[in-house]
Amino acid sequence: MREITLSQAVNEALAEEMRRDPTVFILGEDVAEAGTPFKVLSGLVEEFGTTRVIDTPISEPGFVGMAVGAAMTGARPVVDLMFGDFIYLVMDQLCNQAAKQHYMSGGKLTVPMVLRTNLGATRRSAAQHSQSLQALVAHIPGLKVALPSSAYEAKGLMKTAIRDNNPVVIFEDKLMYQDKAPVPEEEYLIPFGVANVKREGRDITLIATSSMVQVAEKAAVILAQEGIEAEVIDPRTIVPLDEKTLLDSVRKTSRAIVIDEGHQSYGVTAEIASRLNEKAFYHLDAPVLRMGAMDVPVPFSPALEDLTVPTPEAVAENARKLCSGELIHAA
Amino acid sequence: MPHDVTMPQLGMAQDAGKIVSWLKSPGDEVAKGDALFEVETDKAVMEVESPANGFLTGVAYAAGDDVPVGQVIARISDSADDDAEPEAQAPEAAAGQADDLPEGHAVTMPQLGMAQDSGLLVNWLKSPGEEVAADDILFEVETDKSTMEVEAGRKGWLAATLAEAGEEVPVGDPVAIIAEAKPEAPVARSVKDGGARPAPAAPVPAEKNTAAAPAKPAAAAPAPKPPSAGGGRILASPKARRLALEQGLDLNRLAKAGHPQPFHVADLEALRKMPAAAAATAPSEAPRRLTATCAEDGLSEFVPWAAETRGLTPDTILAGLAGASLAADGTVTVSVESLGTERRFAVPPGRSLSAVAETEDAPALIVRDLRGTPISTVALGAEEAPVLTIARDGAGLSITLECAARALDPGEAIRLLTDFAGRMEHPLRHLL
Amino acid sequence: MAKPKTNTEDYLRMYRQMVRIRTFEDNANQLYLSAKMPGLTHMYSGEEAVAVGICEALTDDDRITSTHRGHGHCVAKGAEFKAMFCELLGKAEGYCRGKGGSMHIADQSHGNLGANAIVGGSMGIATGSALRAKLQGKDDVTVCFFGDGATAQGLWYEVMNMAALWNLPVIYACENNGYSEYTKTEEIAAGSIMARAEAFGIESHQVDGQDVLAVNELTQKLVARARKGEGPFFMELMTYRYHGHHVGDINREYYRSKDEEKDWKENRDPIIRFRAFLVSEGIASEEEIEAMNAEIEKDAAEAVAYAEKAPYPPAEEVDMHVYAD
Repeated sequence: MREITLSQAVNEALAEEMRRDPTVFILGEDVAEAGTPFKVLSGLVEEFGTTRVIDTPISEPGFVGMAVGAAMTGARPVVDLMFGDFIYLVMDQLCNQAAKQHYMSGGKLTVPMVLRTNLGATRRSAAQHSQSLQALVAHIPGLKVALPSSAYEAKGLMKTAIRDNNPVVIFEDKLMYQDKAPVPEEEYLIPFGVANVKREGRDITLIATSSMVQVAEKAAVILAQEGIEAEVIDPRTIVPLDEKTLLDSVRKTSRAIVIDEGHQSYGVTAEIASRLNEKAFYHLDAPVLRMGAMDVPVPFSPALEDLTVPTPEAVAENARKLCSGELIHAA
Repeated sequence: MPHDVTMPQLGMAQDAGKIVSWLKSPGDEVAKGDALFEVETDKAVMEVESPANGFLTGVAYAAGDDVPVGQVIARISDSADDDAEPEAQAPEAAAGQADDLPEGHAVTMPQLGMAQDSGLLVNWLKSPGEEVAADDILFEVETDKSTMEVEAGRKGWLAATLAEAGEEVPVGDPVAIIAEAKPEAPVARSVKDGGARPAPAAPVPAEKNTAAAPAKPAAAAPAPKPPSAGGGRILASPKARRLALEQGLDLNRLAKAGHPQPFHVADLEALRKMPAAAAATAPSEAPRRLTATCAEDGLSEFVPWAAETRGLTPDTILAGLAGASLAADGTVTVSVESLGTERRFAVPPGRSLSAVAETEDAPALIVRDLRGTPISTVALGAEEAPVLTIARDGAGLSITLECAARALDPGEAIRLLTDFAGRMEHPLRHLL
Repeated sequence: MAKPKTNTEDYLRMYRQMVRIRTFEDNANQLYLSAKMPGLTHMYSGEEAVAVGICEALTDDDRITSTHRGHGHCVAKGAEFKAMFCELLGKAEGYCRGKGGSMHIADQSHGNLGANAIVGGSMGIATGSALRAKLQGKDDVTVCFFGDGATAQGLWYEVMNMAALWNLPVIYACENNGYSEYTKTEEIAAGSIMARAEAFGIESHQVDGQDVLAVNELTQKLVARARKGEGPFFMELMTYRYHGHHVGDINREYYRSKDEEKDWKENRDPIIRFRAFLVSEGIASEEEIEAMNAEIEKDAAEAVAYAEKAPYPPAEEVDMHVYAD
């Protein structure tokens, strides 16, 4: 199978959906000729013109609000939010407007829009361009949240997001834009709420999202050399969450670590760990561990920044302790 | 049709208003929009207008009265004579304010037992109006066969008692009110006449509560006692605890043996390997050993037939026959040891051999098949589960049951062996 | 009064719609005061000529976005009393099945994209609706209602910029009732509100919001031009709210005087003024108008009675409509 970058995969997904459905259009800062700072959208304006790939002023609440209105009246906008950190700017439009229209109207109004943005630290971009804020939006009923972990996932999830009748926030890992993965030439979609078991194992389940999936896979390789068989699962969407696949795995392995690049406290890892605890308690032979980004603003200095994100070695070390029955947090 | 005039809802956090003055008198003719009375709330005074043309009738409150929001104050009727009292109507949201309990800190019925939802008030040790210290005992409560004393919790005056001796009070409901100042009019109520809840609008027939309400039977059977070592808590993973419970393993034994905690599933293996130590702790009881003999031809015809028609292995058949002999209500795990291999089977209740499936759970019964060996009798002592040893004995089979005395009482041991020997001799009968 | 139009039916419908709004609000106020209505509500009384003058210039294909003070927009855009009262009381037959309430009534069948409880919250939605119309080559126009208080929100300046850049068919209708919640707007707004829109090159008009014909005539012209791609436009409608910020805001002399309220109610009331005009022009007699008023009052009373008896939504609806299929 051919291999393409995550960036190309997103680009292909958008192009295919825009060809298929004339109501799909792209709105955001520097999306047309510039093709975004990450060049993800390069070439789209040439095919679809500036009426469907629309450069906006630097007015995030304005253009996200406009996407909500366009979506409510028959269009399917894909909004490009240049950095995930800018989500704070658009919280009212996203959480008070987009997320609630369907419910507040008793099911009459729908908001079929996609907010494309990104996450991920270690790009030396410091505290306001490095955050992974998926937990903020996952907390809001009415929003769906997709976290692709490879080019393959990015394409399939984006196409599903565009066809979904709800506001979907899709976070791409900005460090993965140039990473290649096999992506079929034929069309495919990846349904929401279906986790992907990346690797099977009997001893411990590593549930990882987005950027952390490859961290978990590397940890599994380390562990395999020591005779510990880790199962690696990528939920792919955290809203909706494929609870069954996660629970089935944990019932089998009795141990789990949940890894996500958002801040650890009150985060995605906490939510998933809590569900495992509630629904698989009597199958747990060890506490479910959370591994998120350190609870500090992302520092600039490489020497510090690299300390804030979970690494394969750290995941393997925790897995080792859980499997040997060693106390990680003394009771 | 008469129109109700109600106390308007005005402020954002307002639930009652005071009638400052009436601007119309009962029987007056009024027009829609005429000011009827003035209301004071949140420091503002406003006029309440007539909702319709007609006559002011049924005036139920006077100047100076505090009236809950939504309460009907008067009516605008078609005739001045229509002076029926407005129907007593207390909107639920406002009802609480109509109650006149003294202000203070509520002492509530404590939650004591695991499955307890009310407590029986045995007696009062303080009377309404009495001064109390924080650690003074206010009343005694009986619940789940224990009686406990409830303290005031803070210093002050007992301003209200809301239940009488002999009454059941739901957990969390107020039983007493401790006021900071000496109450002018201490209140004594019973649960029957409303307790802490607002008195209902319609008068309840005063019924003297003399007999103590019968104590509610305990709602749930007592939970199995969790394992604990010398009163201390055992640290074990949820899964290890669950498996220990399901397999009848006692984590206390591991703890007493000094096995490092917390216990995980892997530690259960160590626990299973501890029967000798357990026997040593109960030296007075020798293991049980019983032997039976039976013919072999029934089984030797049955096994090939079952393999051909049902696809059953000899081990599955042995497990199924042995499991059924235990006559348990639920699925039992039977281990079959034969020619150096061990396989475990889950045997569900009933006789269906095809429902027997392999499992990894710890066995409740072990079948040791020594027919392929020269051994004819065994006396190996008790193991962690009862063992049925099958050996050749001349033309027939000898079956020996060995188990710890605590595992099966003599009657159970005899029943088990008799049943199993019967099934071995006539396996077809098992199916019928 | 602006120059009269010639269509008698249009006039009578405008009068009727204004009275329907006033009657709806009087009943809603009573429901609140008698503690029959959960929550609280913001009365549109006094501003009827704005909603009616504008909405009578629109078709069902044209969209509006509304505000927390939105009952008037909703009625003017064609909503029915029964479903509105049901919504106010949280009943299953309400426009939003009781999930929205007073501040979120949406009536998509008449192009009402919904009231919004965030001040200025719908400015993006309205502009986005206009962007959609332009992208899809449709000629519908979106009117964004908001109050003078909302002009302090930054979102407005972001979307006005884009609307002007791209000539979007949106009309920003600022209902200037002089008060930003409990504060005189002149105390919180620097410079002129009109000038703010003009700074983006947006053609702006100020109009007497108590004159339904003036409002209607201006809106007709602007809507026709917006359909041709000459938008966006800004209208500042000078009006007045008779009640406080919400029904519970009764003690308001610290921010405005009773004399001021009395003056607007007696001398500038849009319904009284238009009624006098209809009679003097011979369009309707006093008797005909009284009959119309009585009929509307009866409709409202029946709708209230119906809504009071109507069932609440069943419990299983609580988690319905979180996500669309």
